[in-house]
Order: sequence, then structure tokens, then C-alpha cells
Amino acid sequence: MPDIPVTADPGETPGGTADAAMAVDLTAAPAAAAADVPPEILAQSLGQYLRAWWRRVRGGDSGVLPVVLAIVVVAISFQVANPAFLSAQNLVNLFEQSSIYMLLAMAEIFALLLGEIDLSVGLVMGLGSVVVAELVQPTGLNWPWWAAIIVTLLACAAWGAFQGSLVARLRMPSFIVTLGGLLILQGVAIIVLKGALVSIGNSRFTNELVLYDIFWGQFEPVVGWILLAVVVGATGTGLWLRDARKRRHGLEAPPRSLTAMKIVLMAVAGSAVVAICNVNRAHFGTIEGVPYIIPIVLAVLAAWTVLLQRIRFGRYVYAIGGNPEAARRAGVSLPNVRTWGFVLAALTAGIAGVLFASWQVSLTTNIIKSANSYVLLAVAAAVIGGTSLFGGRGKTIHGVLGGLVIGAIYNGLYLLGVSSWWIDVVVAGVLLAAVAIDVLSRRGAPRQA
Amino acid sequence: MTVDPGGTPDGPADTAMAVDLTAAPVAAAADVPPELLAQSLGQYLRAWWRRVRSGDSGVLPVVLGMVVVAIIFEIITPEHAFLRPSNLVYIFGLSTVYMVLAMAETVVLLLGEIDLSVGAVALFGGVVAFKLVQQPGPGWPWWAAMLAALAICGLVGAFTGTLTARLRIPSFVVTLGMFLLFSGILVVVLGVALAVVVGAVGTALWRRAAARRRQGLVAPPASLTAIRIVLVAVVGVAVVLICTINRGTPLVAVQGVPWVIPIVLVVLAALTVLLQRTRFGRYVYAVGGNPEAARRAGVSLAAIRTWAFALCSATAGLGGILLGSFFFGQYSTNTADPGQLVLYCVAAAVIGGVSLFGGRGKPIHGVLGGLLIGAIAYGVSLLSLGQLATPLQYIVPGVVLIVAVLVDVLSRRGSGSGTRA
Repeated sequence: MPDIPVTADPGETPGGTADAAMAVDLTAAPAAAAADVPPEILAQSLGQYLRAWWRRVRGGDSGVLPVVLAIVVVAISFQVANPAFLSAQNLVNLFEQSSIYMLLAMAEIFALLLGEIDLSVGLVMGLGSVVVAELVQPTGLNWPWWAAIIVTLLACAAWGAFQGSLVARLRMPSFIVTLGGLLILQGVAIIVLKGALVSIGNSRFTNELVLYDIFWGQFEPVVGWILLAVVVGATGTGLWLRDARKRRHGLEAPPRSLTAMKIVLMAVAGSAVVAICNVNRAHFGTIEGVPYIIPIVLAVLAAWTVLLQRIRFGRYVYAIGGNPEAARRAGVSLPNVRTWGFVLAALTAGIAGVLFASWQVSLTTNIIKSANSYVLLAVAAAVIGGTSLFGGRGKTIHGVLGGLVIGAIYNGLYLLGVSSWWIDVVVAGVLLAAVAIDVLSRRGAPRQA
Repeated sequence: MTVDPGGTPDGPADTAMAVDLTAAPVAAAADVPPELLAQSLGQYLRAWWRRVRSGDSGVLPVVLGMVVVAIIFEIITPEHAFLRPSNLVYIFGLSTVYMVLAMAETVVLLLGEIDLSVGAVALFGGVVAFKLVQQPGPGWPWWAAMLAALAICGLVGAFTGTLTARLRIPSFVVTLGMFLLFSGILVVVLGVALAVVVGAVGTALWRRAAARRRQGLVAPPASLTAIRIVLVAVVGVAVVLICTINRGTPLVAVQGVPWVIPIVLVVLAALTVLLQRTRFGRYVYAVGGNPEAARRAGVSLAAIRTWAFALCSATAGLGGILLGSFFFGQYSTNTADPGQLVLYCVAAAVIGGVSLFGGRGKPIHGVLGGLLIGAIAYGVSLLSLGQLATPLQYIVPGVVLIVAVLVDVLSRRGSGSGTRA
């Protein structure tokens, strides 16, 4: 094929005037091409966009729609059963509980996207919490809090690298490696704990106080509003400029009205969160303001979203999850990307570990053992959020939304006085239902399972 | 159609056949285990050694493992207490639970699936059986209670199997969910609740081999059959002797063969016959070895998978009854951790020689692996480790599981038969 003009100017992409013709061309493209390009990208007006989105939902690729519906249904049912559910006090409480599920689900998503599973995230979190708490003990190592956090995260990542290597290089089944791994971690965590209790609840020591505040601290109400303005302003401007640049270069971009709607929606949702958090939620005295964990969860969400959606590593992760053989033939190093996937999962679980230590304040052997039960919730949260168990489909935001559903179910049932055993049964049912829906929706999807 | 079935080549044709068979092309040799073709003990041993070297090592590693573990623990336990008769019988009693659960797991592993709910389902079955015989309460006869418990467990397995087989949800996710479900239900149901062989086996072995030889089928050499029978006899006599030594206190004599030993042997025999001698068993191996090939050969994948999960759960239910019985007939929420139990039994099956990737393994592997796991678990608890005792209860099975699977993965790589991993 020597006749193909390889010297074609890359600047020859159709400019503004060609837009209309191009839109016609593209919408008339054969079904094969339409399956590859999300129809929203091709839409030129809001109406078109919504129709395209609805077509995609019906085709099985429903994105965050089911989980948002689930949140609404769960919220309404619990609110009917117990009017305290949607009180400002309980909502903040609910979010605080959910933050652990959210982080673990975000960790699990790295493994799930690769078509693997990591059953050890719960105990990586457990180990991380024990390590960070032990390192800052004034009577022990007495490290500064930041050094303790960094070392904890590194230790968790190193464990992830070990498990990832076994899975990626020796091709051992990931659920077996991580199942064995979680047992080992359980033992190691108990050894680190020295069979006793470790606490970070002493406010006389700065390092313990900082760790405690990670979960339990909050911004001043005014600072919350300023922060919201900065975040919405920055992301809104970024989003607007990006879409404008795309349009200028003649690339496909969502319609202006949609971009504006997204920004307004963000501002409204943010204001609602800040307003709810700024209500005094203490029984005695005052506790008000946005908890620190909200920006922490958002920062992790933003970082991992960029990592997975915008850079080459992320594309490789999706490529491997979608079709490992195709990715390998395209020159992707499967062992490296898989190992890094497990490292990132363990690192995120380590962040959850720091939060967990801060949440529990005092850690005992029994609490470490109970950390194991979180892994099922993490998988359930990720799958409920819309991440596929079979790899290649899902986003970090799904973990956050799914975590919120799980947190809401736990919180709601707890408020109703249901025993924790029955809550486990309900969550297991939700997990099985979510997986069944995942499987069935893959069958309905045009792309081959 | 009128060919006399007795017309198979007899005595004089034997040697010619042997030559034919040993000269068979490599492709055929890969399908027929070389032991089957061997005509003398020496040939048999050489063929066996070739097979071990090619990665299909059978029960050799687990037997070696047992010897090594026994020697190590005998040396490092305080007062060299590990090999005392009382300890050996206790280990055997403890191991029976792992053996039965590992045999249950084997059925599913053979399909290339996994069942992580066996621990929880086993405990559930045990609790149901115990609840049903409570005197102030249902007061059922023991056999009815056991049958009911096994039937319920079988139904649970059928449900799991249906989800896996018909919806093709990955089995580890379904069974993980069932594990959580039954760990919860268990506590709800529990509330506050408090459960000659050598001769037969030898004769059977001898008669089968003799029958095969008479009909001109390939059969192991007579010397090997004899050796096997002697081995069974020696092991059996040793077990009986160890069990008959008084292991109680001087005041209360405890001696005799525990009932669980024949129970385990019956389960082993039943599952072995089912898997090695019936059509269902052949289908299980076929599906595990190559599902697509089995499907094209007309095997109903969904039906076989569903039945295998049901069988697995019912066997697990029996394991749960043994477990409750072992812990002095009492059940409480602390009796056993279902999560740890399932890890032990998966590890036991894989250590015993059952492949995680399907199509390779036998029920006997579950028994041997269960014994090894029981020995390790009890040996570790014998050591006076102080604060390390609790963590090691978790670390040891974790390491054992990973190492067992590692060996499985590596041996599949080394083996000549196709690796689909």
C-alpha cells in the first residue's frame, strides 16, 4: 500500500464550516462506527444529546443512572420509615460513614477495571490503620504525622506490588492471591498491634490530634463557602475553556447549554452540601462546617479520574480490561500495567486505612478482624455504582456513588434498629442483585461480552 | 452385531498388544496415563516417575508434605508431643472436617469454578441439624434432622449453581455473596443453640484388577495391586492401633476407632465412585477440562454445573455436622470462623493436588490435603508462641494457600498438557 499519502498535514481536519457536513456524515456512519464513538459526542444540541444518551441507556450502557435512581429510592424509603434519616445531622454522619466505603470502592475499581479482583483491600486498610497509629505513638516511635502517613501509604503500595506481581507475572488467579494475602495481612496487623490496643485519642500530642482531625475535624462555616467558590470557579472555568477550545479546533464537544448546565448543577449541589454541613449537628455545643473528609474524598476522586481518563496509563487499563490479548498485541505491557493497578488499589486502600484509624480512634484486634468485612462492601459499592466485574467498564465516580448507596443502606437500617447480622444479609442481597444486573446488562449491550 | 463380547484377545495376544501400545504415537501417549500401559512393576514406576517430572505429580507432593510437616513439628513442639497417639487422633478428628469440606470443594474445583461459601453453608447445615434434634423443640430423630440439613444445603447449592451456571456470574462473586448471606443467617438461626474396611477395599481392588486382566484390558501389574493392598492394610492397621491406645486420662479411658473415620471413608468412596465411575463424573471432568468441547459433545453445561454446586453444598453440610459434633456437640457463634474454614478447605484441596483451573483432581486429594492442613493447624497451636499464636493462625493458612496455588500454576506451565490459564 505505498500509495497512501503518509505526508498528509495533520492540520487538515475540517474547520468550522465543515462542521454541519461532518455532523451529517457522522450520524450517518454505519452501526459499527457508532458503537465505538459515544453518541453524545456527536450531538450538536441539547435535545440531540439527551436523545443520544437515552439510546445509550437503553442499549445497556447506563452509566450512573441506576445508582442515582437507587440513591433516590433508598433516601425516600428510609425517610418515610424514619423522618430523622434526611436530617442535616444524619446526612453528614452518613457521608462520614460512607467515605470509607467510597475510598475502598475506588481502590477496588482499579482491580475490577483490569478484570481482576482484590479481596485484600479491607485488610490493607486494617494494616494501614494500625501502622499509622503505631508510628505516631509518643511512647513509641513518635514520628511526625506526615511522615507516618507517607510511610503507611508506601507500605500499603509495596504490599500491592507484591500481590500484583504474583497475579501479573505468574498469572495466579487474583482472588486466590488476595484471599491468601488478606489472611497474611490479618496476622501481620495483629503482630504490629502487639496484641494490645493502640489509640490516637490523646489531644495533648499534635501528631495524634492531626490524625484524629482527619476524620473528625471540619472547616469553619465561612471557609466552607470560600472553598466551594474556589472549587466550582476553577473546575467550571476549566470545563468551559476546554469545551470552547474543542469547539474552536472543530473537535466534537457537548453543546454550550449542556456545559453551562453542568456548571450550574455543580454549584447547586456544592451549595447544598455546604449548607447542610454548616447546620449545627451537635447535641450539646456546636459542631458545624464541612468535614475535612469531603475534600479528601473529592481529591482522591479527581486524581484517579485524571489518571484513568486522561493519561496513557488509564487508557491501557481500560484496554487490558476490555481485551487483554488485543492490548498485548497493541504493545501494552500486561504485567506492568496489571502490577501498577494492584499498587494503586493498595495505595487507595492505605488512604482508607488512615481515615479508618482516625474514625475508630482506638484500634483493637477485633476491629482489625472486622476490617475484612469491608471488602465485600467495597466490591458491592463498585458494582452498584456501575463498574463491571468483567473489566473494562467503570469510572472512579462509580465508587463514590456506590459507596454512598451502601452507606445509606447501613445507616438507614441502623436507624431503624435492625441488627447488624440482618444488615449483612441485606447487603449481600444487594451485591448479588447488582452483579446479576451487571451480567444481564452486558448481555443486552451491543458489544460482545 | 453378533460378535461375541468374549472375543477380546486373551493370554497369547497380550504381548503383541503390549508392544503395540508402548509403540503408540506420542499423541496417544498424552491421553493414556503411561502407568496404564506398563506391564511390570519396573515399567510402572518408570512411567510414574516420567509423569511426576512432567508436572502431573498426583498425591506425591502432599504425602511428602505430610512427612516433612510431621518431622518438623515433632522436633519443634515442646516435649516432642506432636506424634503422640492422643494428638494424632485429635488431628485426625480435626482434619475430618477439612477433609469433607475439601472433598466438597473438589467437586466444584473440577469444573474450574470455586465455592467460597462452603464454610458458611457447612456451619449453617450443622446448626440446622442440631436445632432440629433439640429435645425442648422440634425433637426430630437424628437421621431425619441430618437428611433435612443436607437437603437444605443441597438446595442452597442448587441456587448458587443456577446463578453461576445459567447467568454465568463468576462463581467466586456469587459464593462470596452467599458466604456473607449465610454468615448472617447463621447467627439468626443459631440464636442460643448448643452433635473391617481393609478387607473390603483390598478385595475390591484385587477383583477389579483381576477382572480387567482377564478381559485383556490394560491393568496394573499384579505385584503393584498386591503392594497397594498391603499398603492399605498397613495404614489401616496403624490407624486402628494408634486409635486403640488409651488416649484418655488414667481415670477415664478413651480408646477405639473414632466413628468419624468410617464416615470420611464412606464419603470418600461415594464421591470417588460418583466422579470416577459414572457418566456424571466423566462430564464433570469434561466440563472442567474444556467447557466448549464438552458443550459440543452434547453435555449440558448448566445442568452439570448446577448439580455440582448442589453436591458440593450437601457435602459441606455433612462437614458442618461433623464440625459441630467435633466441638463437643455444641454450636455457638464462636465455634468456627466460616471465612477461615473456606480458606482451609480450598487450600486443602489445592495442596492435595486438585487444580484450581478445573479438570484435574480426585476426592482422595481432598482427604490427604485436609489431613495436612489439620496437622499444620494443630501443630501451630501446640507450639508455645505467646503473642504470635493468634497472628500465625491467619498467616500460616494464607501462606500455605498462596504456595499451593503457586505450585499448581507452575506445574501447569511445566506440564505437556495444554495450559489454558
